[in-house]
Formats: sequence, structure tokens, C-alpha cells
Amino acid sequence: MKEWLFGEAADTPGALFGIGYNFDVCLFAATETDPGTACGPLLVGTICILLLFGLAILGVRVAFAAGIAGMVGMIEMIGFGPGVSTVGTIPYAKTSLYALSVLPPFILIGFLAYHAGMTAKLFDAARKWIGWVPGGLAVATVMAQAGFAAVSGASTATAAVFSRVAIPEMLRNGYNKRLAAGVVAAGGTLATLIPPSAILVIYALIVEESVGALLLAGFLPGVVSALIYAAIIILWAKVQPDAGPSVGGYKWGERLKALPGIIPIFFVAGIIIWSIYTGKATVTEAGALGAFVILIVAFTQGMRFGGLKDALMETARLTVMIFTLIWGIFIFVTFLNYSTVPQAFSQWIVDLPYNPYLILLAILIGYAVLGMFMDAIGMLLVTLPIFYPAVMALNGGDYVTRETSAFGLSSTEASIWFGIIVVKMAEVCLITPPIGLNCFVVNGVRPDIPLGDVFKGIAIFFIADVIAIAALVLFPDIVLFLPDLMSPG
Amino acid sequence: MSDATDDTKQPKPEDGFGQLVWTLDRGLRWPEDILNLLAAVATMFLVLIGVYQIVVGMRDLCFPIPGTYPSDDWWVAPSFGFEDYCVPLINAPMFGYIDMIELAMPILAIIGIAYCMRMGTHIRMDLFIGRMKGRPLWTIETFNALVMLIFALLMARFSYDFFDDAFTLGDSTTDAEIDTWPSKLLVPLAFCLLAVRLMVQFLGALRLAANPALPPVGVIVQKDIAEQAQEEIREAMGSTR
Repeated sequence: MKEWLFGEAADTPGALFGIGYNFDVCLFAATETDPGTACGPLLVGTICILLLFGLAILGVRVAFAAGIAGMVGMIEMIGFGPGVSTVGTIPYAKTSLYALSVLPPFILIGFLAYHAGMTAKLFDAARKWIGWVPGGLAVATVMAQAGFAAVSGASTATAAVFSRVAIPEMLRNGYNKRLAAGVVAAGGTLATLIPPSAILVIYALIVEESVGALLLAGFLPGVVSALIYAAIIILWAKVQPDAGPSVGGYKWGERLKALPGIIPIFFVAGIIIWSIYTGKATVTEAGALGAFVILIVAFTQGMRFGGLKDALMETARLTVMIFTLIWGIFIFVTFLNYSTVPQAFSQWIVDLPYNPYLILLAILIGYAVLGMFMDAIGMLLVTLPIFYPAVMALNGGDYVTRETSAFGLSSTEASIWFGIIVVKMAEVCLITPPIGLNCFVVNGVRPDIPLGDVFKGIAIFFIADVIAIAALVLFPDIVLFLPDLMSPG
Repeated sequence: MSDATDDTKQPKPEDGFGQLVWTLDRGLRWPEDILNLLAAVATMFLVLIGVYQIVVGMRDLCFPIPGTYPSDDWWVAPSFGFEDYCVPLINAPMFGYIDMIELAMPILAIIGIAYCMRMGTHIRMDLFIGRMKGRPLWTIETFNALVMLIFALLMARFSYDFFDDAFTLGDSTTDAEIDTWPSKLLVPLAFCLLAVRLMVQFLGALRLAANPALPPVGVIVQKDIAEQAQEEIREAMGSTR
């Protein structure tokens, strides 16, 4: 079949540059004292990583940049015929997996959530129950956003809908503009940790961990983040009482009346967690039932067929985008494993004469810097193939026990723990300049609040996030408590 | 969407080359729209089948038989052979459910790829290219489209081999033994359509690189971060009400 297009393709390694397995070609040529650096496969790996970043910076879509760099590398490593044949199977092989079918229902839930009118009801309930604390409306906003996160995995969407619901209410009650805008932008980031979260599903697939374990693991860190936000708001309102007056005076009857409206949210969160714990339904089935329930609620709230069609079209589009990234990255990962770059990088990291926590800190700072230029999902996918094996090796490798590991975690635990930390890290980048998309979203919905004020308002929540990440690093049990309950022993 | 390529009100350009790109762009839209609609319908089916499996199929859900349960945590029972302690409520799971979902995944995940490209949904880093304007911008865009076009053609060509093997050898799923080739055929088809879309984007960018003053046709017009934010808002809340 191949001959009609390519004739007798050169099927020997080193087909493009002639360095695939030529260990005499090195990045820095060997001298008498130095054995040389990055020879043969390692050199190809280095070149293709640079190619990936070069293409991405030029504006080639990230998924394609990864696919192209991976394909070039594969051709170089194993020859044209075998290289492109291997690459050609990857889009099908890496998407036709049942585990991945969880993504479309999760994404659909997010697109329907606004139409289901959940935002206003959540905010109303939260205000009646906790409005009495200092900075009550802002704390209520954070709690309502944490609740909304249970039906939405998208950070920016959560920030957008709450900008419309919560900010007017806060400003009417004399809240500081910066506090009002900051809390909405920051609270949006809770969506990616509290299930259902698309980004955690993608992480689980890339590192071959249990999707259920990752989804459960995100729950407590999400709650802890929300509580830290709430604590910071209360502190702010205590120091500066004008910034966030409390709103009280609700009777118990009013409070109880606010509850039935938010039942669907608890149902969706409950069904997903139930399915993971009991295994009586797959996560896809649970997500499907959740989407169905939200759909029914949305219809009762006046959504029309046209709205459903729009939500489905958007879901399909976003699904394709995510899957394209997944298989594009897998092409690159397949090549990287041939090139031995991840192994070499891991070895280098392990050999560094520093404390493992210091190295982890350096990696996280690297993520923070990269996050200033890149979208969260893209950043995670591009960096994981290199950083994930390195962090696992740093912890002590694949078969390490808690006692002998660097972070006191078994390899599975370390992998879940690192996932939650990097996802949280990627989310922090959604609220930091220059491309803190959540801040732009708040400013987009409320043009009367200048962008500068949003960024100033967010500063204190950035500190809260740093505290939260430090807590997750130092107390891994926050992450691992729920997944550990799942697996007996 | 604020992409120029999806602005149906955009008039047909006056220059001949622009008209060619415009015509190609419009001609491509209906297959792209139909494939994405198919993906949307498949998403709805995925939801409905999931609901069936969980509610009607009641795959593993069962009544605990009073007095036979070893502990009161009956809801975490599956790890110890629950059928000893309870009876199935309704047990009619769909045969080959997982196989069918796996075979349907290319419909959900791949066939909309050209539509996604037209809409500019595939993410990219805007930091450098976002600051470019005029001829330099369109020259780089021409290069980008060309690189992706070559990649799409190679992918179409060699994912076809994967289909061809399955077709010739009669590959089927392990459980329900359904043929896999129709599902595998969707991949090269999607890449072919993507290649045509990238061809249009390549021509559109080439035209603007030659004369940046022309109205853009068949290309994705750069959005800055504030416009992206507007788009996120629209996606989350529908039309700006």
C-alpha cells in the first residue's frame, strides 16, 4: 500500500538527519576529559523538544505541534515506514477507550449548568446560611462557587456566571469593588478540583492512574482551598469592616426554604462519588445520569431545544479539542520513550544534590512561569511527559513503599498527589497576570470594574493559593484521604 | 463565535483569488457542520445510553436481603460478591455496551476536527503571534497552515493503513465481536476533511500575506485575551442576555 505514495521509503533509523542511533553525533562533542553530551537518540529527543516549543511559539496549534515533533522524531528514530505507520495508529488507539468516554458528559454538564439556573439558587442559599459572618456575601460567593463546581469543571465559566449573579449583589451592599471582583475570579478556580473535572480525567489518562481516584482526590483540596479563601475574606472584612459588611437576619424558615432548589447539585456530586466508591456504575454512566438530571432541570427553567443544540455543539467542539490534544501528546510521548529523554532527565533530577522538596519547589515555580504564557490544559499536557517521570523517580521509582520514598508516599499515592498539585498550580495561572483569563472574564462581564482593580483584588487570593499549595505539599493526606478509602488496605 | 471564518454576514470579497477562497470556505462548511452535528447527536446518545445502563439496566444494583448481610455498610458491597446477599432488581444490561462506546469514540472525538479547526478552538500559545500584525503575521500563518497541512495529509494516508489492516484481516472487538473497520475508517476521513480545511486556511493566509489590506477570508482572525474572555462568557451563558 505504501509504495504507491512513497515508493521504497527509507526504512532505516536516522532517515532525516542521520543521527537516530549514531552515538558519534553529540550536542557537545566528546573531548579527552568529557564523554560528550546528548548523543544519538538523546540528541534527537532534544532537537524534537525544541521543535515542539518552536512550532508552538510560532502559533502552530499545540496538539499539532506535539504531533509533528513526535512524527519527525519517530521517523528519525525508527525510519520513515515504521515511524509514520506507528504514528498513524495513535489517534484511533488513544481515543477509542471507554475510560475517555467520561469526558463528553462532564463537559455537557458544565455547558448546561448555567441554563439550569443553579447559580442564583446556590448563591441565595449560601447567603441565607452564611451571610452573617464578616464579609458574608463574599464568603457566600466562594461557597456557592464551590457548590457550582460540582456541576461544572470549567474555571472560566464559573467565574463568568458568578460575575453576573454575585457581583451586583455585593456592590449593592457596599462591598469593596476589588474584593467583589477578586473573590469571583479566584473562586472560579475551585471548579477544576471539585469533581466533575475534565482536567483531572486527562491527567489520569496521561499518567495511567485510576480516573476515579483522581476525581475523588480533588474533592478535599477543593474544599480546603474554599475554606482558605473564606478565612482570608473574613480576615479582610475584620481588618476593614467597610469592605465587606455581613448580611444577617434570615430566619430558619427562610434558610430551609432555600435548600430544595440546590438538590440537583448534591445529586450530581453524589451520583459521581457513589459510582466511584461502589463501582456499581461506571463514571461515564454516572456522568451521563448527572448530565440528564441537569438537562431536565434546565428544561424546567425554560431552556428550549435550541439551547440544548447549542450546548451539544459546544460540547462536541470542546471534546474534539481535548481529544486532539490527547492524541497529539501521545504521539510525542511515544517518540520521547524511544529517545530516552524522560529517563535521562529523571536520572539527572535524582542525581541533583538537593532536598527533594527543594527540587519539587523548583518544578512548581517552573510551572508558575510557564503558566503565564500557556493555557492550563496545554501546559499540563506538554510538560507532563518530562516532569511526571522525573517527580516519580524523585519519590523513589515505581515500586517504592512509603517508608523508603522521598515524599513518604507510595508510587500510586505520589502520582495522585502530584496530579492535584500541578492542576492546582495550573489554575493559579488563571488568575495571575499577564494572561489571567479569569480576571479578563470578570472584567468582560463587568466592564465598570477596571482590569487593574480585578488584579489588585486577586492578589490576596493568590497568597491564599500559595498557602493552599504549601498545605497540599506538606500534608498529602488532604489529597489522599478519600482515594485511600476507596482501595481497601 | 467571533472568528472571521464563521461570520456568515461577511460579504464575498472583490478580488478573484479571494472569491475562490470564499467559495471553498463556504463549500466546506456544510460537511464540517454536519459532522460536528453528528458528534453532538452522539454525545446525546452517550448520555441516554448511560442513563439506561444505570437506571433501567440496573447492572449491579440490587436489594439487600434482610438478615443475610454481614455488615451494615451494604452500599459498599461489590467487593465481596454481593450476589450472595442480594437479588438483582432488573438485570438487563445492554450487550456489548462498552465495545459500542469504544467504537463510537471516533464520532465523538475525531470527526469534528475540521470544524474545530475552522472555529479556532484548538488551543495555541498567543504570546508571540498575538503581537504580530499585517504581513509578518500572515506569513507566519501561511507557514503554520502549510506545516499542519502536511501533517494532516500524512496522518490521513497512514491512518488509512490502520483501517486497511483491520478491513483485510477482519479485526473485531473482543467482547461483542463487532467489526472495527467502520470506526477506524472515520479517522482518515476526518483527516482528509481537515487537510482540505487547512488548504483553505493556507490559501487564505497566503492571500493576506501578499496583500494584508484585503478583507480576511477563510482564515482565523486573531483574538486578543479580552475577546477570548468574551467568548468564554458567551459559551458559559449562551447569547449575551
